[in-house]
Amino acid sequence: MSAAAPPERYRAISPAEFFYKYREIAGFSNPVRALYQAVRELVENALDATDSHGILPNIKIIIEKADENREFYRVTVEDNGIGLPPHVVPEAFGRVLFSSKYILRQTRGMFGLGAKVAILYGQMTTGRPVEVITSQPNLKRIYYFKLRIDINKNEPIIIERGSWRKNRDWHGTIVSMTLEGDWSRAKQRIKDYILRTAVVTPYANIVFITPDGEIYYYERVIDKLPRPPREVKPHPYGVDLELMKRIRDNGSFSTVKEMLMKSFQGIGNVTASSLLEIAGISPDLNPKSLSDKQLLELVNVMKNYKRFRSPTSEALSPLGEEVIKAGLKRIYEPEFVEAVTRKPSAYQGHPFIVEVGIAYGGKVPLSNDKYPTLLRYANKIPLLYDEGSDVTTDVVKSISWEQYLVKLPAPIIVLVHICSTKVPFKGVGKESIADVKEIRSEVKLAIQEVARKLRAYLSKKLKEEEKKKRVVSLAKYVPEVVRALTIILGDGRGVKAKLLEEKLVEIVSLRTGIPKDEVYKVVKSVEIGV
Amino acid sequence: MAISSVDKYARQKSIEILRKKFASIAKRILEGKRPVLIMPKRVLSNTIYDMKKKLLLLGPEMKRRSLLDVNEARKFMQTLLMASIIYEALVNDEYPTIRDLYYRGKHTISYRDILGRLHHENTWDEQRESDAVIRDIEVFLGVLREEMLILSKEKGKVVGNLVIRSGDDVIDLSKMGHGAYAIEPTPDLIEFKDIDAEFVLVVEKDAVFQQLHRYGFWKKYKAILITSAGQPDRATRRFVRRLSEELKLPIYILTDADPYGWYIYSVFKIGSITLSYESERLATPNAKFIGVSMTDIFGEEEAAKNIKKLTSIFGKDLKNVLSKPRKKPYLSEKERKNYIIKAKKKDVERAVELVGYDVADKLISNPEIKKYIRQRKMGVSGYPWFRTPEWIKEISIFFSKLAKLEIEAMASKGLKFLADTYIPTKIETGDWID
Repeated sequence: MSAAAPPERYRAISPAEFFYKYREIAGFSNPVRALYQAVRELVENALDATDSHGILPNIKIIIEKADENREFYRVTVEDNGIGLPPHVVPEAFGRVLFSSKYILRQTRGMFGLGAKVAILYGQMTTGRPVEVITSQPNLKRIYYFKLRIDINKNEPIIIERGSWRKNRDWHGTIVSMTLEGDWSRAKQRIKDYILRTAVVTPYANIVFITPDGEIYYYERVIDKLPRPPREVKPHPYGVDLELMKRIRDNGSFSTVKEMLMKSFQGIGNVTASSLLEIAGISPDLNPKSLSDKQLLELVNVMKNYKRFRSPTSEALSPLGEEVIKAGLKRIYEPEFVEAVTRKPSAYQGHPFIVEVGIAYGGKVPLSNDKYPTLLRYANKIPLLYDEGSDVTTDVVKSISWEQYLVKLPAPIIVLVHICSTKVPFKGVGKESIADVKEIRSEVKLAIQEVARKLRAYLSKKLKEEEKKKRVVSLAKYVPEVVRALTIILGDGRGVKAKLLEEKLVEIVSLRTGIPKDEVYKVVKSVEIGV
Repeated sequence: MAISSVDKYARQKSIEILRKKFASIAKRILEGKRPVLIMPKRVLSNTIYDMKKKLLLLGPEMKRRSLLDVNEARKFMQTLLMASIIYEALVNDEYPTIRDLYYRGKHTISYRDILGRLHHENTWDEQRESDAVIRDIEVFLGVLREEMLILSKEKGKVVGNLVIRSGDDVIDLSKMGHGAYAIEPTPDLIEFKDIDAEFVLVVEKDAVFQQLHRYGFWKKYKAILITSAGQPDRATRRFVRRLSEELKLPIYILTDADPYGWYIYSVFKIGSITLSYESERLATPNAKFIGVSMTDIFGEEEAAKNIKKLTSIFGKDLKNVLSKPRKKPYLSEKERKNYIIKAKKKDVERAVELVGYDVADKLISNPEIKKYIRQRKMGVSGYPWFRTPEWIKEISIFFSKLAKLEIEAMASKGLKFLADTYIPTKIETGDWID
């Protein structure tokens, strides 16, 4: 599939030395974490290169042992995404903090930095270079690079490069890197991560081959993609001095008023005028002439202004009810599945959307006896750890599930997805979401909304079961009753046993509303012993 | 062969009624109507004490037992199953006992539930269950089990100057040696041939019956001596009834001085709750309670004290039952000490059921028992036939003394005393409760 992909914007922003500090934060503290983190970074990049650009993803993940004696693993992730222009490949993989993700929209990666940290880690632990194969839909050739990062200079070193003609219409990116890892201890995490990713990407074909030779294949079950996020201007609530300085220095606006109107969402002619009046800045002033002090004043005014419209949610890419349902179905084949995507809401100027799906029965594993099994996602990324400190865990625990006819432990999964231009993560692990009042309330409302549908389903099922149980408790006596009557009345002379049985089945069926053949089934199953 | 023809006639009649009743059920089914058995309710609330006839009778309330009611379906099946077994026995000229019927009908029904799991269910588990079904069939058909030639274990015994015909044999009940004639389950088929007796003494306890028998009590006093060996079965009750009705003999009942003894007497006299549909045939309204009464043990002074406490409930009527001069007890203080048994909580509960909570509450002074009864029996109104002045006088002593006594105690004082003093005196002085 070849989508008309929007052009990406690239910009180098900061020096590379930062990495040493960053390595721990990014999760490369030990071989277990490192292997898991490397897979995550590459898979998330692969998904961002596909579904965000309207392409149904085909993702292949291969982890293989790369050295006989040492714990070196080669991780290869292939996607069918938009690919990269060949001239940016060395920069994109070989210079830290070069990324397309420094713009305001919802993406999986936090800084787009992770993949490069993984490459650096691999290079440091194994000395082996990263290999990249890529092609864009409109290009006629496929490009190949073997790269290394010069850590001191923060520059890519191209070891090998090449290209060949495309003889089929392929586009996408294949990244292979080798790093020191600990597969035996990381494998449960990695399998979990891929399974949970598969839950929210029913529109993707995912193949995963492990070093143990296992192959996991999650086949695409739906052709619908989530709405891709759109790039939006920042909302004035989220403004800070740094951002204002950047706008002032890089923009080309003739007046301050124009700068405000063109740089932010929700600021029109009237709002711009009143903001500047409160800040005591003349609307016709050239923005370049604004002092830092004046900018700060403007920022404060904007932060305290109460009458902005809510931030637009266009930058958000919720999964959508259909995708959540299809995803849960694909993995768990539940007897009940429902989902809801809440209307956009905002906290501290950041728009967010909460989505909840509930799957019940089928192959859904039994939960613990305190609360349902919880699948947490933030911007489509599964959150696997620190479940206990997540606000959604708290909400799920606070709900009295018996009220929804769920008797724990039960085969129930609650999926909670929070998407936002800024997910309020708790701590540096970025594995749990902080207790933000607005988010807590939306999560609760969303779960309750879906749980009500579950209750309706379970209540109906319970009634059906009761009805069927009732039928069994009546129908099981039919043969004995027929036998007794024919003994007293004489089969053949008075009444025919068959006819009596038929009539009794009919009466039971009529009275209980259960179809005749089901009543018959019970009657036929009866054996009268001696 | 008069009996044989009676027997045959009974069979034929029962077969016809069974066929007719169940044909109408089959007809309903074939018409697509739901199968129901309509029969009188056999429960306490539908048991009426007929003050005029002094009998416990079945009330007018009916119950509908439907196959389509989850709570009734099993009973419906059981009723039809039992009816078919009884029917087979009738047409095959058999005389099954209720235990036979229990075994013949007991089998397993296996079936699969909605999930396809196999279940097994017994048609009935205990004989208690199948016995109840037999009683249901009796009221449903309006035919007694004796008329369906269903037998039960013989329990009652009789000796005395009485010649009967049973089957083809003539039996002299004065020539039974140390044994006795076991009252057969179909006492209506007995023919009274010859009698030389002045009264009937029914003894609750088999052991006391044997002692009196060996002592020659019935010869000496021209009595017919019977024991029910505990709760009387239907045959014994019917036999006693026939002695009273057909031979016009006075009937005296001698039981333990405790709530169970009193209830046994009332079953003889007015009928039982479970078999109230049978009372008209089984009860003996003329039966008299000859003892052992509480006043025989404690004297009437004790009763007089109690009755003062009960005037708030019963008014002055009660006072008339105290005779003057007041009766002295048959037992001395020392004998009482030896023979009296302390009443158990269960005994007290049973007594409250007979006479009502209000009476018990006024008379029990033991705080522990008082509290125990309040927690369990508050509001119990008692049976009307025990709330007569005579019985209140009797039971009041039980509550104030919380004591009971077995007939054997009177025999321990001396069999001679029991046979030659106690019983004859009671009869001569008319010292009984009617």
